[in-house]
Amino acid sequence: MRRILLVVIASISLLMGCAATNEPMPGHNGGMTEGHGHGDAQITQHFDDSLTKLTDNDLYSLELVIPNKNLMMGVNTVEIIVHHATGGDVAQGELTVTPWMPGMGHGVMEKTVITERGGGLYSVDNVVLSMTGHWQLQVKVSKDGKEDTAVFDFPEVKAMGHEHAMMKAPPPKDLDYSTMKMTSSDAFNVMYKSTSGKIRINRIHSWELTVKDADGRPVNDAKITVVGDMPEHGHGLPTQPEVAKIGSGGLYRIDGMKFTMPGWWVVTVSIMVNGVHDSVSFNLNIL
Amino acid sequence: MRNNSIRAIGFAVAISLLLLIANMTVPKTVLSMDQHTWSDQEKAILGSLWIGSLGSLPVDPSNKYSDNPKAAAFGRKLFFEDHFSGNMKVSCATCHREDYSFTDNLPLSHGMDTTPRRSMPLAGVAYNSWFFWDGRTDSLWSQALGPIESKLEHGISRTMSAYIISKYYREEYESLFGPIPEITEDKWPQKARPAQDDPNALKAWVLMTPEQKEAVNRIYVNMGKSIAAFVRTILPQPSPFDHYVEQIQAADTTNPRMALTNDEVAGLRLFIGKAKCTNCHNGPMFTNSDFHNLGLPQNKKAASDEGRSTAITQVLSSEFNCLGKYSDAHPNECSELRFIDTSDKKYVGAFKTPTLRGVTDRPPYMHAGQFATIREVLEFYRSQAQNPELGHGDLTDKELNQLEAFLHTLSSPVTSLQAEVK
Repeated sequence: MRRILLVVIASISLLMGCAATNEPMPGHNGGMTEGHGHGDAQITQHFDDSLTKLTDNDLYSLELVIPNKNLMMGVNTVEIIVHHATGGDVAQGELTVTPWMPGMGHGVMEKTVITERGGGLYSVDNVVLSMTGHWQLQVKVSKDGKEDTAVFDFPEVKAMGHEHAMMKAPPPKDLDYSTMKMTSSDAFNVMYKSTSGKIRINRIHSWELTVKDADGRPVNDAKITVVGDMPEHGHGLPTQPEVAKIGSGGLYRIDGMKFTMPGWWVVTVSIMVNGVHDSVSFNLNIL
Repeated sequence: MRNNSIRAIGFAVAISLLLLIANMTVPKTVLSMDQHTWSDQEKAILGSLWIGSLGSLPVDPSNKYSDNPKAAAFGRKLFFEDHFSGNMKVSCATCHREDYSFTDNLPLSHGMDTTPRRSMPLAGVAYNSWFFWDGRTDSLWSQALGPIESKLEHGISRTMSAYIISKYYREEYESLFGPIPEITEDKWPQKARPAQDDPNALKAWVLMTPEQKEAVNRIYVNMGKSIAAFVRTILPQPSPFDHYVEQIQAADTTNPRMALTNDEVAGLRLFIGKAKCTNCHNGPMFTNSDFHNLGLPQNKKAASDEGRSTAITQVLSSEFNCLGKYSDAHPNECSELRFIDTSDKKYVGAFKTPTLRGVTDRPPYMHAGQFATIREVLEFYRSQAQNPELGHGDLTDKELNQLEAFLHTLSSPVTSLQAEVK
């Protein structure tokens, strides 16, 4: 939802302002960032919390917008706004975006999917980051035979769920403590239960997870990750749980769950299967 | 101007009178009833801290002798035996004194030499998942074996230990664990151990035959399992706090002899509420058995200490862990080791939350005895108000007094069930 909104806002503002007139338009920060490029090359920025970069040979100005603020392990979507470094947006450019792990010397099998939205805005879907750690997004732009590249660096990509860290926030009232929920984009229905009944503090225990698709059919062979977090304290589980499939019927077993502090915990289950990635967060109150 | 002041004074007098009347009309009994009124959620927390919720001793699947009374009686002898030391003066009881809650009163414990950390109290130790301040072993029996070969503690070797067993405890050992080979001084090097800190001892160990090494390891492991069988019987007894919880659970709040004073109850209310002590000191042993870096000042006499961070690889590589060949557990029973958090960077300088049962009976405090009194500990926590892990609220001096008063109510005699068995 948030993403769609962003695309709409970005598209409208680009079409109305920048793209239509090539004039600087007031962005969220009350004005376009003045050029801090080399020579004539200028960086154009529309959003406050976006990342900007000139390509290596100063041909293009890139603005990277991450709708969820941070890249996470799993499937991500980002937006890239491409301008000529001399001003003016790059329409009908050829864009490739490649995730890369510099420390490991490898990327991923999955290819990113790029859709031009107009006014120099390109959506980059299916940015698959298969593990936590140091990642880069290598961006190549080609327009009228002029090719240039830039690299965006993400030193610490975390697993989903860790974006809660350090909120120092007390639990909101009317927290939803249900044990069965739809994932955030409604792709899956997920239910959990502790195999030893009531969850007790400081006890290692197991969960049984039932995963179904939106039509109620069991989802087997999914890649599932589990992250636990205490939003009030900014730390996770004291263990590293493991997920194993049990038979068919969309049943999985999570071993090694343990909660060592009383209070509000958030357990985020991420599910990846057949190119679909979605996640759900369960709230727990541990006594 | 003058009128105004007179009016103000009159107003103040009127207010004071009103307050006085209000005070007089509230009977004292109502106040004390409020003092002992707890919400259902608070009652649930009190119940979770109550000694009655400890349950029976947890099974240690890696030690099949852990509930064997004969092994415990044997372990008791080994615990107090000072032959297992380089100077014939150090036993487990040197740093785990029976007359001092099974710990000692030194900031840094002293066996053969001064160690880098404080001795841990033993009451209820069997309820832990990890042992030592840094959790570098995952069972009580493997914990018991560490100090014996440490140069700073007992300062002998496992081969010497096996030799002493064969010479002085043969009959008792064999009746429990079966025959042991003849261990002669000429063919069995007495200082041999797989040591990283003593090349000569390591060389002597490497030169032993596989059969000899296996025989020594078996005896050494069974020593540890016997000591553990004894140590796990060292338990805290019910404290005034526990009696108070029983009174609350029985709705016996008008009893003229409540187990806790008003200040102690106020301290308890802070402990489970505003001061958030139960974030880490929870459950009936008042510990979550987890590891935390509190940003403590360093003990200048101790070397810098990485704590849990370096213990993770130690416990994983230990030949005496739950998954090793000397463990009696099925691998599936080694949950803590299987799901150990290997993020070592997260645990730099982190140490285990200690139990608070009997805490005021056994100063000094923290892993290197950084604080001489419990008051200093409370003052330290108050100074860390900005730390999200340690945010204990803005505590007043009065509240600190109340917390301290409450901590005294966790004292109780420490007894060993084994003492009765003998």
